[in-house]
Amino acid sequence: RNFGWSAAVCQQNALPLSNLITEAAEAIVVPKKKTWSKEAVLQALAATVNRDSTAAHYMFQDDPYLTPRTSAEFKLYSLSQESGRLAAKHIVNTNPKFFQKDFAEPHIPCLMPETMEPRIEDVSEAALLERIMLRKVKAAVDMYDQLLQAGTTVSTDATNDLLDLICLYGDHDPLQDDKPEDKGRRRKGRPQRAIDLVKIVWRENNNAERIFNLLPERDTRAYSALIRGMVKYGAHVKAFNTYTDMLNNRLTADVHIFNALISAATEVREKYNEKWDLIVELLKQMNEQKVKPNLLTFNAVLKALRRCGSLARAQSLHTLSEMKALGISEWGKNTFASHIVFCSIFCPVSSLQGQTDILQEVLTEVAGRSFVPQDPDDGMHAAFWFLKTVCLETKDLESAYRVHNLLNVGENWRLLGDSFQQSIYYGRFFNLLCMMEHIDVVLKWYNELIPSLFYPNPQGMKDLLQALDTDNRLDMIPQIWKDIRRMGHDNKSDLVEELLSLMARDRHSPEVQESFAACALDVRSLYKQGQVAKVALEWTTASMTNITTILLAAQKTKQAWDMLNIFKTKNRVPSEELIDEFLVRIKDGQQAVELVQISASFCLPSTPNLAQRVLQEFELSEEQRWQLTTTSEVPCLSSDERSVFYRPYSSQMYVLCRLFNKM
Amino acid sequence: MNTLARVGTSICTNPETRALHVTASCCKNRAARIRVGKGDRPLTYEQALHPHHIGHRKGWLSQHTSNLMGENGAADRTVEDVFVRRFIFGTFHNCLANEIVIKRRGNMLVVCALMLQRLPPQKFYFLIGYTETLLSHFYKCPVKMEVQTLGDKAVYKYL
Repeated sequence: RNFGWSAAVCQQNALPLSNLITEAAEAIVVPKKKTWSKEAVLQALAATVNRDSTAAHYMFQDDPYLTPRTSAEFKLYSLSQESGRLAAKHIVNTNPKFFQKDFAEPHIPCLMPETMEPRIEDVSEAALLERIMLRKVKAAVDMYDQLLQAGTTVSTDATNDLLDLICLYGDHDPLQDDKPEDKGRRRKGRPQRAIDLVKIVWRENNNAERIFNLLPERDTRAYSALIRGMVKYGAHVKAFNTYTDMLNNRLTADVHIFNALISAATEVREKYNEKWDLIVELLKQMNEQKVKPNLLTFNAVLKALRRCGSLARAQSLHTLSEMKALGISEWGKNTFASHIVFCSIFCPVSSLQGQTDILQEVLTEVAGRSFVPQDPDDGMHAAFWFLKTVCLETKDLESAYRVHNLLNVGENWRLLGDSFQQSIYYGRFFNLLCMMEHIDVVLKWYNELIPSLFYPNPQGMKDLLQALDTDNRLDMIPQIWKDIRRMGHDNKSDLVEELLSLMARDRHSPEVQESFAACALDVRSLYKQGQVAKVALEWTTASMTNITTILLAAQKTKQAWDMLNIFKTKNRVPSEELIDEFLVRIKDGQQAVELVQISASFCLPSTPNLAQRVLQEFELSEEQRWQLTTTSEVPCLSSDERSVFYRPYSSQMYVLCRLFNKM
Repeated sequence: MNTLARVGTSICTNPETRALHVTASCCKNRAARIRVGKGDRPLTYEQALHPHHIGHRKGWLSQHTSNLMGENGAADRTVEDVFVRRFIFGTFHNCLANEIVIKRRGNMLVVCALMLQRLPPQKFYFLIGYTETLLSHFYKCPVKMEVQTLGDKAVYKYL
């Protein structure tokens, strides 16, 4: 019976359309028939293939409660998810006996528990190798010392491995990854924690040097480890000394040593041409020792050239042609970093003199190619945002688009860096667009980029408002205000005030004024909850004036009266234009009299004129006339109320009032 | 047999004897059924419909292919399901709005859960990351969670 009931209900809804029309023809408006083009289905399908600009980042759950709305929330949620993962890994690694059962076919090594502690306890070379593999620097060094004391000889390979380990980690144990950190947090020049402030420096006579000196015979590999460690941790002069040592022992260096020395060359000499001479010297020696340069060599040369100032440009062109000649560009999938460093030599951000042609050439070369990060600095240099900065400085929109298209090729999105660098990149891109492009294009990009890719800061929103103003699309402001609230920028008083002033400035059509008035009331409620909210917005004269103007323009006279009361309570004085506008809108004589009284209470100089106008324009009863005349004669209130007033003009009036009161 | 018949008849006809009638017991089906009560107990749709409605008005809470003809491993999948349900019930303490749905697609285990908005979102994400990783390591297959949140439980009726 239940089933029958529900079926009847459904059937009632499914009556044919014609019945409904005949029943209530005047209530229903039949919509116009929509025509679809032939490719509509294909276009709809194609729109689903690329990134969805209405969704949040892929790592978040698809739910409105769990989607981040500001950049702070983005970081918080992503880091908390990451820390959950690390907590689980910790549990897996500390209780391996529950996770040993392996029923994956084929075996998945990354899902097995990892051994973090060394198992082999006795003093032997196998134990040493195990500790090296687990990256336990101190334990490995201790094991080596124990082995030497016990008298066993350690093989050269093992010793070389040990030296590699120590030089890689600078004789400190690497931080175990039990704290959630994404690698991009170590941004250039901004240490986050105290640990970062304590940089690892190559100490005198540390373990690496000690073990090195203990070696009976030192080969290229040992020297290589030592020199690279020294260069990595800042002992550049020592590195060169060790190199000369090596040459004295008649050993040939390998390509890694030369790469390290080239990158150290800029630190060792002072003047630009000395630096370049040293690099040339090293390259010559490389040639003599028959060592083939590789990709990283040229990158090191280019990076060193960046420090060489004006000498750099000719040499870097030369270097690039050498690279091409050697065919590194072709087979190596030339690393992105080299291009970027090249650009940065030519277009240093501080002094750009229209070097855009170099930029164009590089972009043509780079267009349509997918890069594989090879150089360790590829991500760190945040190449993309650097390019964007260049485009911003030169106001070159076309290049900006080409750079952005490059991002969509293949694997290049990996080179964009972490979320902070991404936000800088997209922020600059959006800034450029707001400055240079027509408003429709700007709005299209706005819908595409925000909020799925980045969350603009208040400056970005101001740029957008500016662009709207330039192209006369101020009717979009209420929507933008909704976005501002969602992003949490509604506590930035300068942004809010600019918004209000833009709305209050001109006259618009009635619907637009209505929407502005609704927006203004929303803003007012924000100001009002000042004590309750965490970051309070303070009332200022400008904001109050603007809100009142907007409300008046939309014929919301009652709310405008409330605003006047707020003026009183916050001890701010409304301007005369505002009072005049009020007068224009008021229809009722009683209200006009009240207006004049209010104006008198603020000690505005135009009060007598106002009174005159009211007398002329409005129908007033005798009592009202009397009130009016008495009000206009007494220009000011008592002195204690007056002293609290905040008046922008008024020195003469103020003096007059004081004189009047004294009398 | 004759004596039995005589005994039976004698008990029937003799008015001073009493007999015990015994039949095979047929107990009422109590599986996954919440009985009618005072009317103040809220029930979700899942709880309100009885198991014989599965396939007609209800869906399945666990989807895998091992119950098809010729496929193995149904028991293993069931045990895994039970473990996963208890694990999630305990991890997201007091936050589940309804039973979780477990789907197996290829190698992956997808846990679809309906949660209440009792925790701030960052705590949800911590627990989601933790669950995904721990279950992946336990079952040696990728485990993904798809979570939707509600304000309160969706009540279908009161019993």
